[in-house]
Amino acid sequence: MGTTKDILSPFLVWKQFFRKPVTIKEPLKRQGADRYRGFHINDIQECIGCGTCESICENQAIDLVAVAGIDTKSGDSGLRPKVDYGRCCWCALCVDVCTTGSLKLTNVFTWVDTDPDQFRYIPGVDAKPWDNATKGYKKAASLELYPLERIPMQHLHPEERHDSFIEIIKGFSKEEALREADRCVACGICTATCPAHMGIPEYIKAIREDNVEEGLRIMYETNPLPEICGRICTHKCETVCSVGHRGDPLSIRWLKRYLADQVPASAYASVLKSDSIEKNNRKVAIIGAGPAGLSAAYYLGMMGYQITVFEKLSAAGGMMRFGIPEYRLPYDQIDKDINYILSLGVEIKYGVSVGKDITLEQLEKEYDAVFAATGLHDGRSTRIPGTNHSGVYQSIELLRKITLGEPIEVAEKIVVIGGGNVAMDITRSLARMQRQKYGKVQLIATSLETEDIMPADREEVVEAREEGAIIYPGWGPREIIVENDRIKGLKVVQCLSVFDEQKRFSPKFDESNENFFEADMVVESIGQGANLSYIPASYFEQLEKDHRGRVLVDTLTFQTKLPWLFMGGDIIEGPDVIHGIANGHKAAKGIDQYLNANREEKQ
Amino acid sequence: MFDHVISELKNLFSAGEISGTEARLRFVTLPQNQAVKAVKYLNEKQGYRHLVLLTAVDYIEQGQFQLTYLLHNPENRTDIGVRVLIDRENATMESAHTLWPTIATYQRELREMFGIQFPGSPGVDDDFILEGWRGLPPYRRDFDTKAFAESFFPQREGRGTNDPAAFMKEKLYPNE
Ligand code: SF4
Ligand code: SF4
Ligand code: SF4
Repeated sequence: MGTTKDILSPFLVWKQFFRKPVTIKEPLKRQGADRYRGFHINDIQECIGCGTCESICENQAIDLVAVAGIDTKSGDSGLRPKVDYGRCCWCALCVDVCTTGSLKLTNVFTWVDTDPDQFRYIPGVDAKPWDNATKGYKKAASLELYPLERIPMQHLHPEERHDSFIEIIKGFSKEEALREADRCVACGICTATCPAHMGIPEYIKAIREDNVEEGLRIMYETNPLPEICGRICTHKCETVCSVGHRGDPLSIRWLKRYLADQVPASAYASVLKSDSIEKNNRKVAIIGAGPAGLSAAYYLGMMGYQITVFEKLSAAGGMMRFGIPEYRLPYDQIDKDINYILSLGVEIKYGVSVGKDITLEQLEKEYDAVFAATGLHDGRSTRIPGTNHSGVYQSIELLRKITLGEPIEVAEKIVVIGGGNVAMDITRSLARMQRQKYGKVQLIATSLETEDIMPADREEVVEAREEGAIIYPGWGPREIIVENDRIKGLKVVQCLSVFDEQKRFSPKFDESNENFFEADMVVESIGQGANLSYIPASYFEQLEKDHRGRVLVDTLTFQTKLPWLFMGGDIIEGPDVIHGIANGHKAAKGIDQYLNANREEKQ
Repeated sequence: MFDHVISELKNLFSAGEISGTEARLRFVTLPQNQAVKAVKYLNEKQGYRHLVLLTAVDYIEQGQFQLTYLLHNPENRTDIGVRVLIDRENATMESAHTLWPTIATYQRELREMFGIQFPGSPGVDDDFILEGWRGLPPYRRDFDTKAFAESFFPQREGRGTNDPAAFMKEKLYPNE
């Protein structure tokens, strides 16, 4: 029913004309609350471009984009998040998950622009008025979307292990492995840093899904020695793990070991589909059954090549068997990896020394290609006075004898010279043997490097101390004092610095600050050199070398200037197991390419 | 502060777990057929006259929704949250609109966002904010928000992203 008011109402509206408008002009000058969720800011130096913010964003508001001036390097993809405010709902999940803590929301929430494309920008790169805002949403300290702490690894306590060679690390249970795998944000930052570029987030995902067979397959794509690497890899990947920025990095190495430990040796052939390899009739000789040689043997074997490995010693594994002590890497685990490679039809001729028992020329004639991965097995000497005494040993020789079960001298007081992992290996092995023989440890390991720059893995130094050895870093050996043909000890002076400004090895000493370590046996462990005497001079001349006389190879194929000869492993790069594995893999691909190209030429 | 009311809830109802660490807030879990009765009791007999909110959480792993009726007592300024777990399959809960007409709005929202039915609640099946939504209720945890955002809201032109691992390979070791 109409009323007069209804009829008049259009005119009543007119009176609004004379009122103050309700719409007010910008700027409102009203601040957001202290923890208001407004526009993003990102500390561009802290951010590593892991993309976890992008993955979590339910609105797909974030793109990872390349930014001029930010380089891609180990541990940093060089990408940075770019936000589309047409999609962002200011949920702040990206802030909560950010692995470095670089990403935050300011409390600034007003921004007017007529160009919609302006509302996509890279926080921290594209300058914005709120870049220096201090208020806004930050992740609460009590809130973590993934646990920052590692699942602890069970291991033998010092008194349970210090007088035997049984394995120290017990390995993850399934429950532990699943929990540790669950901490991975699957960003893939680690893959570039791994020398073999293993599919780390992929195999960790397989653990999460409890698909250990898939995990094993992923590992073998880039690494045919997972039981070994799962125990002793130098785990460079863990140093760049995104989760490590605010917490403990993932235990990538132990997760790898978990996967390999889960699959019994008898299941490998069917899981890895090596029961159906098509063989070809081309033959490749490999010199040295260490990590590089075995890796090349595996990948060439999978391609169908007939592989013969020539190994000087009586067992395969190289440094993995004859350098690394059993308490870190038990022999049965080495055998599990190697036996599987042998099951592809790879043949190893043990006790055959190339250069003596068979010449390189013969190998060239009888095989289509040769891969030399002979490693570094000649211990270097400090050449200080006294080193020619019979009570002075090379660590690498002692470790080899320990593996072979040959008797070695174990004196009551020992000094080890060296601060690398091999030095720690012999220190810890001899400490065990001293304890077995004398019931106590009297062993000093001393290195040029001070503790902060000792090349050995931190845990090696810590564990060596736990087992009773004394580590004295920062001393330069001067003389082994011998009296009446008996070693009295080692005279050292303080080392002030090891490298010069150009990062070249050039130690400086304070000769006035002397010290004396009593000992009746001295072990030198300052590095190993290559012995390439098996390469005849006529061949050696033709190889390319750097200014220090080291052989140079093609970095992609590991081919030398002699097209049939490939070289890799510690003699070329490293030294460590994982570089050897990566070299062997690349050399296998290089050899395959070379032989395929060759065959086409011949046809 | 809560001793009396909690013991009464235990006497009159099968009150389950009592929780809450803040001085003025307790949560009490009740069986489905007693929850609204307990809410009514707290409202009429214990001074919890003000309904702060009614909300739900999807415990998909347990196959349950948890409803929370948060009530406030303006006299002693305390809050009690009455919690009830209901089956996720055919989720249905008794309506409490006779206690507070405003609760119908919460129930309408929960019907739309979680798909929980409140038979008899006025206007409960009317659209709340989604306007014509026919798919899986979006607050259910099995609703794929990301896929929805991707298919429903077209990307602005010129967008493009990079996978960190692939990008690093291309930059650092393209031929390996
Ligand atoms: S999660 Fe953090 S560190 Fe990673 S890309 Fe995003 S802002 Fe950068
Ligand atoms: S605040 Fe939420 S919606 Fe916005 S970019 Fe971050 S995660 Fe995406
Ligand atoms: S292990 Fe670390 S760096 Fe690697 S994918 Fe997982 S979270 Fe990222």
